[in-house]
Amino acid sequence: MMLIPCPFCGHRSESEFAYGGPVKPDRPDPHTTSDEDWVEYLTTVPNPLGPVQERWWHVKGCGTWLTIWRDTRTHDIVEGPGDAG
Amino acid sequence: MSYDASFERLPISACFDLKGAESALVEWIGAEVLPEFPAKANRCCKADGVSLDHVGPRHWLLHADIDREGELNAALRPNEATPEVSIVRVSDTMTTFRIAGIDAAHVLAIGCPLDLHETAFPEDAVSFTEFFGQKALVRRCIGGFDVSVEQSFGDMLEDYLTRALR
Repeated sequence: MMLIPCPFCGHRSESEFAYGGPVKPDRPDPHTTSDEDWVEYLTTVPNPLGPVQERWWHVKGCGTWLTIWRDTRTHDIVEGPGDAG
Repeated sequence: MSYDASFERLPISACFDLKGAESALVEWIGAEVLPEFPAKANRCCKADGVSLDHVGPRHWLLHADIDREGELNAALRPNEATPEVSIVRVSDTMTTFRIAGIDAAHVLAIGCPLDLHETAFPEDAVSFTEFFGQKALVRRCIGGFDVSVEQSFGDMLEDYLTRALR
């Protein structure tokens, strides 16, 4: 079980949250990007071996959407690069 | 194993869902109607039979006995509220179970992941969490806990609690 840090409630059980998917890069302009890049954006889900940035919804708690970095090898919530988190 | 605890389904109470900035709510409603706003997240303040629960960012629940619903509705004027605030009467959307007794915390622990020790969940604590898989509002009461769930899950939760307390 993960304890996810909610900015409003503090650390709460993973069971109170709904997974909101990985944080994706900014949406490219479909009129100017190549078909290959557009398909890549639409269909490829980040699945690194290591830290991945994810969105979670505290759906059974305060309702906050939050962003965390989770290490896919350990499920630990880790510091992300830069100002993310 | 049986628990030294019991539960009862409480009668409906008046409840209003308040959203918006604290200053905007005070400006619309008037400070004399509301208790003091809780300074911390997931805490409540009570005054004059009315409880104000801070349950989310810019989100509060106002509770009182059902016989004060009309009076509060007149004071809150939900149908005329300005765009800066959202006020919705939600009295009939939740049903509340009172779980009391020496083992009340153990019964809660069957289906609730919250740390209910009094150092982490003190007397004025109130929080949305889950209880037997349902979103639930948990607060302390004398000798135990009050757990509110969506009305439509009330019978199911009553069944779960009956089985848990056998």
